[in-house]
Amino acid sequence: MPSAPTPNLVEYVGGRIRELRAGMSQEALAAKLEVATNTVSRWETGIYRPSIEDLDRLARFFKVSILTFFPPDPTAEDDQFVRLRKAASGLKAEDVEELERYAEFRKARYRLGQAKRPGRKPKSP
Amino acid sequence: MNRNTYYEELKVAAREIRARCGLSTPRVRLSDLRKIYKEQGIKIDLWKTKLKGLRGAYFCDESGASVMLDAKLPEEPRIFTMAHELKHHLFDRLARNCFETIADDDFVEIGAEVFAGELIFPEADFSTWCGRLEIAPGACSPEDLVRLKRETKTTLSYAGLVKRATRLGFAPAGSLAGIHWKKLEEQVYGEPVYKRILRARQARAVRNTSLRGPS
Repeated sequence: MPSAPTPNLVEYVGGRIRELRAGMSQEALAAKLEVATNTVSRWETGIYRPSIEDLDRLARFFKVSILTFFPPDPTAEDDQFVRLRKAASGLKAEDVEELERYAEFRKARYRLGQAKRPGRKPKSP
Repeated sequence: MNRNTYYEELKVAAREIRARCGLSTPRVRLSDLRKIYKEQGIKIDLWKTKLKGLRGAYFCDESGASVMLDAKLPEEPRIFTMAHELKHHLFDRLARNCFETIADDDFVEIGAEVFAGELIFPEADFSTWCGRLEIAPGACSPEDLVRLKRETKTTLSYAGLVKRATRLGFAPAGSLAGIHWKKLEEQVYGEPVYKRILRARQARAVRNTSLRGPS
């Protein structure tokens, strides 16, 4: 079972994007992903929740697992991936890699779906 | 249970689903399968990244059931793949860990092929159609198969029809191998309308360009 819904998961995701972007401007990343610069900024500050497709594109761009954007899950079933690799042993390496990406994509979607929708933070008085 | 009994049971199940979903012809559409998937609560994920040989995969865990489908698959292979993965959802997910059903067992995988074929075009209907089109056992020619596909409007691919014709003894093994089916279709029925329209458009574009002349 994945961990319980994290209230600030969206902020965590935003933080991970910021960390991965280190050394690269928001404008440059936005241009690579063909999104508005504001969008990257809002992901990073937790105002926007990136869609699962956005996270997939970010993961491919940074060449990391999509699960990198989420807090480590102590109950993660790592053996699922071992079994997946075993089951897919007849496939080409590229396809096995995509299958693993898909398995991670599903997990990420599930965890993202559990996160609360972000909204604008109330202005401080 | 031996293999044949297992495959026969899967065919019965496929026919039951056809009856339940009102699929009375060999033309099963994507929308039919989408409807079944929706009923079963299976999510469809069209995977846009290029895949080498993989067409689809079924996954099921605490987050639900989903099928990854190669987004670039043409309609007929997509229908077949969806039917194939449906079998894993209906018969394999409870019996064993779903990840193991992907590729490690011929028994389960061939079963999925049998199920998919029967769901789209039941064997009994295939034999009836062969009789109707006067295709004698052991004498099915490539042209006969083209005619069968055209008359039935089936969404089972030529590869599926060849397997079916060979297995049911309508064609000798290997007699339908290496055929360029689309080319043969054109020889039998002439150029398809969409190609004629495309050619006319291209000709018009060339004519317009040459009329304008160099700028």
